[in-house]
Amino acid sequence: MPVTTKTRAGLTLGLALGLGALAPAAVAQDCTTKIGAVLPTSVDWGRPIAEVAQFAVDQVNEAGGAAGCKIEMVLRDTQVDPKVGVDAAKALVDLEGVKLLLGAVSSGVSMPILTSVTVPAGVPQFSCCSSSTAFTKLAEEGKTNGLWFRTFATTAVQSAVAAKVARDKGYKTVAVLYKNDDWGQDMARLIAADFAAVGVEVVANVAINDAQPSYRAEVTEALAAQPEALYLALYPVEGTSAVREWISLGGTQNMIVANSLKSDEFRDNVGLQYLGNTLGTDTASPRSDSADAFRTRYVERFGSEPNGPGLANSYDATMIALLAMEAAGPDASGADIAAAVPRVTDPAGTRVSADAAGFAAAKEVLAGGGTVMYDGGTGNVRFDANGDVSAPAVVWSFAEGGIDEVEYLSLDDVNGFIASLR
Amino acid sequence: MIGLISYLVFFATVASILAIAVLGLNLQWGNTGLFNGGVVAFFGAGAYGTLILGSPALEGQLGGFELAYPLALTGGMVAAALLAWAVGALTLRLRHDYLAIATFGVAVAFESLMRNAEWLAGGAKGIRGFERPLRAALGDGFLYNLAFLGFVLCLLVAVYLFLERLVGSPFGRLLRAIREDEDAARSLGKRPARVRLVAFVTGSAIMGLAGGLYASFYAFVSPQDILPVLTFQIWAMLIVGGAGNNRGAIMGTVLIWGAWTGSGWALSRFAPIEAQLYTGSIQFVMIGAVIVGMLLWRPQGLFPERLVVSQSGRSN
Repeated sequence: MPVTTKTRAGLTLGLALGLGALAPAAVAQDCTTKIGAVLPTSVDWGRPIAEVAQFAVDQVNEAGGAAGCKIEMVLRDTQVDPKVGVDAAKALVDLEGVKLLLGAVSSGVSMPILTSVTVPAGVPQFSCCSSSTAFTKLAEEGKTNGLWFRTFATTAVQSAVAAKVARDKGYKTVAVLYKNDDWGQDMARLIAADFAAVGVEVVANVAINDAQPSYRAEVTEALAAQPEALYLALYPVEGTSAVREWISLGGTQNMIVANSLKSDEFRDNVGLQYLGNTLGTDTASPRSDSADAFRTRYVERFGSEPNGPGLANSYDATMIALLAMEAAGPDASGADIAAAVPRVTDPAGTRVSADAAGFAAAKEVLAGGGTVMYDGGTGNVRFDANGDVSAPAVVWSFAEGGIDEVEYLSLDDVNGFIASLR
Repeated sequence: MIGLISYLVFFATVASILAIAVLGLNLQWGNTGLFNGGVVAFFGAGAYGTLILGSPALEGQLGGFELAYPLALTGGMVAAALLAWAVGALTLRLRHDYLAIATFGVAVAFESLMRNAEWLAGGAKGIRGFERPLRAALGDGFLYNLAFLGFVLCLLVAVYLFLERLVGSPFGRLLRAIREDEDAARSLGKRPARVRLVAFVTGSAIMGLAGGLYASFYAFVSPQDILPVLTFQIWAMLIVGGAGNNRGAIMGTVLIWGAWTGSGWALSRFAPIEAQLYTGSIQFVMIGAVIVGMLLWRPQGLFPERLVVSQSGRSN
């Protein structure tokens, strides 16, 4: 009888020891943390944005996951319908218990998610592509509780760089054609202010609605003002029709275009011979080897350049969210994750590249109590107090083989120039 | 568990708000036979009206009235009713598909106006900054959502009872008479044009109420909230539930909205990982299939209209 008890005790002890030895490995291997993503996957341009977010999650899992666990991204479609997007976000937060949310793309979807789901629940929200200035105002009023981040830098940066281009080229009058949505309307307003600040007059400001059969009326209106140059904040399909009509009606070929027209489709459909005097603007990666990591890995995985709208932004939003999760440690609350974002985007921190190796390196630095600076696909992203980012910029032109770089502006150049405009 | 309850409260709130709009459409289509293809314009008028009247001043756009919430909500309904009156006076002489096309055009024009008139409603970026009523007392979390659900349910019940009495009254019989045979109604000395307008304005004001509740629940509205897909959703809810039956309208809303959101949830949970990217598109196919199936096999809806013989007819 005593023997049996002893044997049993010994077995129990042995089992406990064995389990104890296994425990650390088990934690890293078996547990899964869910993160939420609400993106418009039923829309053609939305699917690649979701795909690249999943790609970032795969790389983090390759590096052993974040905060001790593998990451599973639960993806929900918004259908670009605010009701559907908000419901999906609410389900992710309440039913799946996600501690961070990626998305959405449209500002009109991101905004109600922010005000009625993520802020009340204390869950940080990382958007790749919502551009509305309304978010900045909301943050300034203190209504986002520091839970809102977006990696879409391009509105303010692009409009400032376009003003610089117009000034450097010596244009005195410019007509603006802009896409009639929140992004386009913001661009039109910003560009008018920035052009005015460098002494360029906007003589016509014309909205372009999507999917019209012809833009002759709009183009004629802009042409009547006889501008020296044309500024385009349009997407390729509408941009192609508008520019074709512009040129066929004898409009100037001095054009400045936003990064949304940085596409081979636009170049081929308009014709390179008409785009010789066209300059474009875009945000850029910083000039360091590690920043190429995103592009290289992307080409390896998908077999093409990451040229679609929002791809680099979506990747960075996902990576930064997961880096912050890692920095906040296991069982962190949403607020802790949001508070850890500065630790992974610290300009004085160790630079890490945008891939699995970079994430693994960041884990070591963060475990040692250090800070890192993430060199992402859109540059060394750094959020201001309102969750907005600035980024380095390039001026580019169309060329036979694709896109040629004309000028590079570092983050300091960009920030300095924007400050000089205000 | 608490997460599930919290989500269900949220779901029930949105479903109840949509149910109010479906009840409004049921008065127009189910009882009077008015094919309103521009539901979203009246829903939007209520939403924008409520937020413009209830919001603090925003730079460069109309607003800053900061009316008390019941006044703002009523103002939204009045805005929807006024729009309906103007539209109705012009278009109600049209019948069936012609009326549908005209009202659809009104909805597209309304969306365009809101997208472009920045001075009026902020253009594409919408109206924000609305303070939800009693937020200071109830906070932002679960308790608030629960209280708001209670408020919306009260209004849903009130609208339901109002419509039940309305369609049960002599006026309700008049609506059905006009729906079935306008000339016969006229031959009995009724004035169909006026009655149609009354039904159209009343139904639209109810949709405006739904819009006002929707906008105040999210504390935000933008042109993206008033795209034609909403008209389609509300029609689908009514057709599946059963046109002409108020209980059917409410059940149809819960079922369609439940299927709409539930299919997304189920696909995200159970679809294989490689198919995750395509679940959005699969979801659209499934929703379409349900509606087509209903139209094929049960066109009268889940809860068909119950036609009762009038009392005088029974006693004789």
